[in-house]
Amino acid sequence: MKRNLYIGIAFVTVVIGLGAGSILLEKRAAVEAAGTQAPRFEVDPMWPKPLPNHWLLGMTIGVSVDAQDHIWIIHRGASLERMENYLAANPPASECCMAAPPVLEFDEEGNLIGHWGGPGQGYDWPVSNHGITVDYKGNVWIGGNGRGTQVAPPTQAAALNESQPGGGPFNDNMVLKFTQDGKFLMQIGHPGQSKGSNDLENLKGPAKMFVDKDTNELYVADGYGNHRIIVFDADTGKYKRHWGAYGHKPDDISLGPYNPDAPPAPQFRNPVHCTELANDGLLYVCDRVNDRIQVFKKDGTFVKEAIIAKRTLGDGSVWDIAFSKDPQQKYIFLADGSNEKVYIIVRDTLEILTSFGDGGRQPGEFYAVHSIATDSKGNIFTTETYRGQRVQKFVYKGMAPVTKKDQGVVWPKKAS
Amino acid sequence: MKSPVFRHSSAGSSGTMRHLWIAAFVVAPVLMLPRASFAHDIPNDVTVQAFVKPAGEHLNLLLRVPLNAMRDTEFPERGPGYLDLERVDSSLREAASVWLADAIELDEDNVRLPSPRIVDVRASLPSDKSFASYDEALAHVAGPRLTNHVQVYWNQVMLDVLFEYPIHSDQSRFSIHPGLARLGLQVITALRFIPTNGTVRAFEFVGDPGLVRLDPHWYQAALNFVKLGFFHILDGTDHLLFLFCLVIPFRSLRKLIPVVTSFTVAHSITLIASAYNLAPDFLWFPPLIETLIAISIVYMALENIVGGVGVQRRWMITFGFGLVHGFGFSFALRQTLQFAGSHLLASLLSFNVGVELGQLLVLVLLIPLLHLFFRFAVAERTGTIILSALVAHTGWHWMIDRGERLRQFPFAWPLLTDAMLASAMHWLMVVLIIGGLVWFLAKHWPLKFPLGQPSPRDPLQMDSTRIGAVANSLETEPGGKI
Repeated sequence: MKRNLYIGIAFVTVVIGLGAGSILLEKRAAVEAAGTQAPRFEVDPMWPKPLPNHWLLGMTIGVSVDAQDHIWIIHRGASLERMENYLAANPPASECCMAAPPVLEFDEEGNLIGHWGGPGQGYDWPVSNHGITVDYKGNVWIGGNGRGTQVAPPTQAAALNESQPGGGPFNDNMVLKFTQDGKFLMQIGHPGQSKGSNDLENLKGPAKMFVDKDTNELYVADGYGNHRIIVFDADTGKYKRHWGAYGHKPDDISLGPYNPDAPPAPQFRNPVHCTELANDGLLYVCDRVNDRIQVFKKDGTFVKEAIIAKRTLGDGSVWDIAFSKDPQQKYIFLADGSNEKVYIIVRDTLEILTSFGDGGRQPGEFYAVHSIATDSKGNIFTTETYRGQRVQKFVYKGMAPVTKKDQGVVWPKKAS
Repeated sequence: MKSPVFRHSSAGSSGTMRHLWIAAFVVAPVLMLPRASFAHDIPNDVTVQAFVKPAGEHLNLLLRVPLNAMRDTEFPERGPGYLDLERVDSSLREAASVWLADAIELDEDNVRLPSPRIVDVRASLPSDKSFASYDEALAHVAGPRLTNHVQVYWNQVMLDVLFEYPIHSDQSRFSIHPGLARLGLQVITALRFIPTNGTVRAFEFVGDPGLVRLDPHWYQAALNFVKLGFFHILDGTDHLLFLFCLVIPFRSLRKLIPVVTSFTVAHSITLIASAYNLAPDFLWFPPLIETLIAISIVYMALENIVGGVGVQRRWMITFGFGLVHGFGFSFALRQTLQFAGSHLLASLLSFNVGVELGQLLVLVLLIPLLHLFFRFAVAERTGTIILSALVAHTGWHWMIDRGERLRQFPFAWPLLTDAMLASAMHWLMVVLIIGGLVWFLAKHWPLKFPLGQPSPRDPLQMDSTRIGAVANSLETEPGGKI
């Protein structure tokens, strides 16, 4: 009887202790949570589902999410190795594999639901696809950064150099507009015709596009050969305006290699790699090799800039950006394909809060993370070029206190 | 899982010249007519947004549907296929009538409402956000129309429509049967019901959900969930195999009571906890549970083969596995809790009742079958081993397959934050209290239940003292034989 009494008292004491302890810890957690917070993500290793038909992705150099939360990617089939294309040989050399069509559409669950792309009548398909944007009317825009000609596809060695695919002068001096079914609608610019950064009709290796729904204007990050942002009417393709770094008139004088200790370059370096318009009318530009974001008003007036990972040489640190899906677009997600991470940045101050990702080929790691986009639920999608050659999904898991500057690989774990 | 279906490619497609000539011959007369779009492929993936709001003597149904889902309606075009927005209204009304009004059934107090009046229609850009709320959507449908200054390809446009149904009272109970599955290969309907008290109740259906009661009585919700639970257990092969394992050594309802009760109580705990969002939010949690369910089957089958003390105390291990199966039930229930209306707890309990009724049916069928099997086909011990080995074999394959899926999620210890510690202490406290209660009950009412002793026919599983006790208990059991 006495023994039972002792057991009972011990039991009640432990239960009360656990209850009191959890209340105390909850209070401390509430205080902790009131500090700096940032969106938290987990990689979804099961997304997307396997592609059909033994299809493979090559360098995956663009991603966009449409109004229905369908995920669009574009990739370069020509960047696959010969042995990866055995199924496409004549006769087929093995049961697997071959390049998927260039443009692929996935639903939210990761099912492939559409595909098209490639040369056709009435337009000049790029030698080397680059960037995909689905605009507010549902149209699909595609850029390119290829040199040489379509007849002679880039050699493997050249194709693996993302910045300078192919050889010779730039071929891809145009952007293309299609419907979601792949019906051609419009082309701005012509292959091999660029006269430089002040040419009003042609582009030169356009990297990424954005269409402003308020003015129906197309902004082009132009690009791999030019040093500017250029604006066209998105329906007619009529030229509107263009500008270079700091809102200056662009020029094509060689700046030499990037030097992190030198004063900021007065012009964009190649490539001018992204352009994204925020809801408040500020335009964000990726000056990739200069390791900086520059911010402009819609008319090209310079507003501010931020240097990201200043000591990054080679391919640079500022590859692509996407905004968080809150109405204020409080955060910028910046893909850095050199340091292999995604930064989470406060859009207002351009301050880096934290980052996630690391170099590697497993889920949640990156090799040359090239493009980034967000869906309406706040999830992030990334694509990787070079030998990365894939698309990944990072599930938005709510806000969480910032505890690390670099989170590393964000494996699935318990939501806080 | 939907298998990918692919659209025809325009860009990059290379038809033969013969096909081109045939196409030109067929298309030429059509080109002589005013431009209009015709039947197209069935879209893969269609999302319909809907609001239902009763107000006074009418009920508003606001819908947004992609135009490419209206396959046999002709929409006026201009240019390369842009929608002629200034001539499109009559086509939109026709599409709304044929594809939507005729396909949707709305009931007021179980009486079907007459066909609705189309108050207004609008063509909208795909990026339009006004269906974020009812008021914005209503204002949008009554607001200015898009004009031909906007060039938008016809099948990238959304149709917005406001239907008005006459009703007797906005206090009535309404049901809807959204028969919209024919709009696409997969149709998701996101519906928000706004009763007069202003609360918003959200539903999401895939395909045709049948008649959905937007504001069910508690007994309607309960009946619905009893049905769901009943058919869920009958559909769930893994739950059935687990049950089968439980039954093999205990072939009488009375002896199964403690085991099944233990299973029921345990899965009810985790099922209700999950419904109230107390379950872990790991991405790898569902595959973990699926794997554990497979392990539970393998364990039970092996225990049947080995026998011994484990079988006698089966109700304990069944409780643990019941917790796991409850999470499994919750995954199945996740999408259907929306039909609970304001009766969440009643619906959950009803689901459990349904599960129990399903289990009972299975037991009632299995017990005599096993009796016959052991009597006429094979000796009991041998039969038990054979049947359990077959089940273990299946469970083992499931375990391997599901474990493989689980392995896709490399394990990382979560950060040991204060919030996580607090949560862990909460759970530990709950487990302790439940454990204490079970211990207390078992200690003070140990002889009220036979606690799942196996069949006394099996001397391998019983020691001599227990055989006597069980034999005594069986003497009181109607129809019990030794």
